[in-house]
Amino acid sequence: MSRLRVTALSLLLLSAAGSALAQQSGIPRAFELERRGEYAGAAAAYRTLLAAQPADLAALLGLERVLLPLNQSAAILPQVRAALAADATNPGIYGVALRAWAAADQPDSIRATAERWAAAAPGDETPYREWGAAALTRRDRPGALEAFRVGRERLGRPEALAPELAQLAGADGDFVMAAREWLATIRRLPAYHAGAVNALAQAPEPLRDDVLEVISDDRTFPARRLEAELLAGWGRPADGLDRLEDALPGDKPQALSALRGFLGQLRSAQRQDALRTKGRTLELIADRSSDAAAARARVEAAQAYSAAGDRNAAARLLAEVGDSPTRPGDLPPGAASTLIAVLAGEGKLDEASRRLDELGPGLDAGERAELRRTLVRGYVKAGELDRAQSVLGADSTVEGLALHGWLRLYRGDVAGALAAFKLAGPYAGDRAEATRRTSLLALLQPIEADTVPELGRAMLALEQGDTARATGALERIGGTLSPAKGGAEASLLAARLAASAGDTTRAERLYRVAAVPEAPATAPAAELALGELLLARQRTDDGMAQLEHLILTYPRSVLVPQARRLLDQARGAVPRT
Amino acid sequence: MKRREFLARAGAGALALSPLGAGGFPRWTSAPWLLIPMDDAQSDHLKAYGLAFRMLERGGRAEWFLNYRGGSFLLPADPATTRDAALAGISTEPLDDGALVRIRGEIAGGNMDAVPLEKAPKVAVYAPPNAAPWDDAVTMALNYAGIKFEKIWDPEVVGQRLRTFDWLHLHHEDFTGQYSKFFLNYAGAPWLVDMVNRNRAMAKSLGFATVPAEKRAVAVAIAQFVERGGFLFAMCTATETLDLALAADGVDIAASYADGTPMQPDATARMRWEHALAFQNAQLELSPTVPVYSDIDGHQVNSIERRQPLGSFTLFNFSAKIDPVATMLVQNHRQVIPDFYGLTTSFTRHTLKPSVTVLADEPGAPWVKYIHGERGQGTWTFFGGHDPEDPQHQIGDAPTDLSLHPHSPGYRLILNNVLFPAAKKKELKT
Repeated sequence: MSRLRVTALSLLLLSAAGSALAQQSGIPRAFELERRGEYAGAAAAYRTLLAAQPADLAALLGLERVLLPLNQSAAILPQVRAALAADATNPGIYGVALRAWAAADQPDSIRATAERWAAAAPGDETPYREWGAAALTRRDRPGALEAFRVGRERLGRPEALAPELAQLAGADGDFVMAAREWLATIRRLPAYHAGAVNALAQAPEPLRDDVLEVISDDRTFPARRLEAELLAGWGRPADGLDRLEDALPGDKPQALSALRGFLGQLRSAQRQDALRTKGRTLELIADRSSDAAAARARVEAAQAYSAAGDRNAAARLLAEVGDSPTRPGDLPPGAASTLIAVLAGEGKLDEASRRLDELGPGLDAGERAELRRTLVRGYVKAGELDRAQSVLGADSTVEGLALHGWLRLYRGDVAGALAAFKLAGPYAGDRAEATRRTSLLALLQPIEADTVPELGRAMLALEQGDTARATGALERIGGTLSPAKGGAEASLLAARLAASAGDTTRAERLYRVAAVPEAPATAPAAELALGELLLARQRTDDGMAQLEHLILTYPRSVLVPQARRLLDQARGAVPRT
Repeated sequence: MKRREFLARAGAGALALSPLGAGGFPRWTSAPWLLIPMDDAQSDHLKAYGLAFRMLERGGRAEWFLNYRGGSFLLPADPATTRDAALAGISTEPLDDGALVRIRGEIAGGNMDAVPLEKAPKVAVYAPPNAAPWDDAVTMALNYAGIKFEKIWDPEVVGQRLRTFDWLHLHHEDFTGQYSKFFLNYAGAPWLVDMVNRNRAMAKSLGFATVPAEKRAVAVAIAQFVERGGFLFAMCTATETLDLALAADGVDIAASYADGTPMQPDATARMRWEHALAFQNAQLELSPTVPVYSDIDGHQVNSIERRQPLGSFTLFNFSAKIDPVATMLVQNHRQVIPDFYGLTTSFTRHTLKPSVTVLADEPGAPWVKYIHGERGQGTWTFFGGHDPEDPQHQIGDAPTDLSLHPHSPGYRLILNNVLFPAAKKKELKT
């Protein structure tokens, strides 16, 4: 198509769109102008409509919307007055009116309009709520408080406008009053429970006991739920669950809802007591759930207990899942993978492997592959490299390639490990895993030999948590290989392991072995670590001398700024962080 | 070196370091000099001052190239200096004799000058023994730059030990003896209780009836130190309260919690401003509950009604060849610097004595930030605010880590003050 024809067609389409708008009238035309962002034109269109029908709420709301981006919100007042004159009972019009007076910064008119609305709708909280909201728009907290208090008094209901008063009290830092108002709120409107928890959870520590005292005086179940979740959020999850468990109603859905809410407070639990409480909560949920959901909850409970270090509880729950009349294949996918991961974490690798065979067809491919890799890591930890290799199979994902690399390394196949790690690239696993692999490459790359079985045994010992054996093996390798050909790196790793195990004398000796000029890529790191070690051992002069040596000998090393900072700290030139 | 000696060597500028001069530096490398650039090429402006200072301590000589590349230093390229610079991460540029001649030519032809630096001044910081090491910008700057100093307090000042120092820094001490006027607002706070007890015990041990009386005696001793030729540098509330204490000769300006008697209602009218260093005709704050002393401070940070927002202040340009002292004090790689609060943040123009030299102000504002003057044979410099890199410092805030602010222009002004007593220059009008 020639450029001329494209231009002609574009003009034609534009002309068609323009003519479509021209054909529209009334509210569709105003909406279209608003949609296009032509706010001034839309405002004129809405005003035209309101001139004909002053109480047209859709037009009035439209005008309110388009005046906001024009920064002319108060300019709606003539239309508001006309609308109220035409229909003095429409709550929508009153709402617009209150917002308009707030925009015009006219508190007296806000109040007068709200009073007029309240007279037209006796018994309704809305006029007072909107009055307070309009005051808050002007950041007038005393005005809002007056609106809510007047409303409560006029309505004659002690719980009226409780959520609004609760929020206001919280914003003013009066959390005891906020607790009273939130209790009144959730007794009448349980849906506000989450809001109450979130708002009261902000109470500063010195006020928390006072807040809990107010809540504990209330004997209702909503109050117990609130108390339990606040306790969980404030670091006392076990106390919270005790309170909740004692008050759980017989009605299963209601009890489950409460338990799930409580569980939500433990979502990011890290501490052991919180993880154990999470396990207990999941057990209570399982007791009240149908078979499949119960099995899933028990698996998750087992996972929580396992993470808390409570292997007995984890094993008990896993046995319950195993004995369940529900076939394992009926487990929901999430629960199935959790079950296998927990079994692998508990060292029950064959059981986990059997479950993976059973449940595999019900899992998606990615989940299945990840569980297989979990099993591979489990077998590596158990020292069963052949079994690990067999489970891993021909996994060619980047994570799988990285695992192949590790398995080759554990067998001492340095060249094979390097090749696999290079294929895996920097993206396999999480950031920590990628960093660990990159550090390892610094050790492997200078090694000229294709196989170093001793290195494989050292790295396997490290993976199995046997630091002492790994350190000894690495020290021997450091003594065997020349410094520039991986010896210095092996000594450096051995030194780091010795330091982490608290053997600082050995660490110092090994750092010195690694800090040799023949290994200029390794020596700065060894010198920095040695400087840190000496400073930590209060050998300040030696540590400073070591850091100075690093800075002066390797001025282009990326570690020099770090060495300077340590030196500054040792001299007292900057605060310690 | 006292200012007296400083002046006595008038004309010594002619003996500026010369590549050919007798007593010049041994030539350790092919390039005999190190230029320490102080413009944006410098990787650590603050430590550069320490480098120059330590070189002087070792008995060497340096030059300060005023207005040349941000106020650069010329140091000998000896092994100790080269090593020191490398360890501290300070940018240096080796200069051969030819390059140095070209630079000297440039300096001679512009608003620049080369000032010899001869002797590291002996530095004292006035602070109570329990002062947090990180709560004073000058202490932080000295520590970061690696400049040695001694801490002294009331016993040393009253005991005439100031005679052994060349340079004295005062920070946020309240020389009116009213505990920074925090006594009522922070009643019961452990740090305040400690401050009150320590000061009362010290006043008693030195034979004074009240803390305000003892602090005034300290202020007078400090003024005498300046008169004898000392260099005084003060920041924050020490500036304002030192002058208030000096002017309150026979006038009770302390609240009753400090000395048992209320402030005299007509204290403002009875002040003897001729005793003060920098200020005159100030109106005193009469309320003991408002942590404000007078209208000397333009920002009134602790008065809700009077508090003024922070802006930025601009360093003045001086003629390097005619006004070397003022020029040294404003050497910087930035001319406009963000302001920062202190108990005393700034100095209102209408309370400045006519003899005061304004080094920096906020254009259009009724206050200035940085001032300098002379008393007897010595000089004083006042810099408003608490911490140039913590503009709204609060009690208990984390300490400023200057390794995160190695180019701080505000801290450079502090360090200009530390180094300027080392300069040897004929006296010229300021």
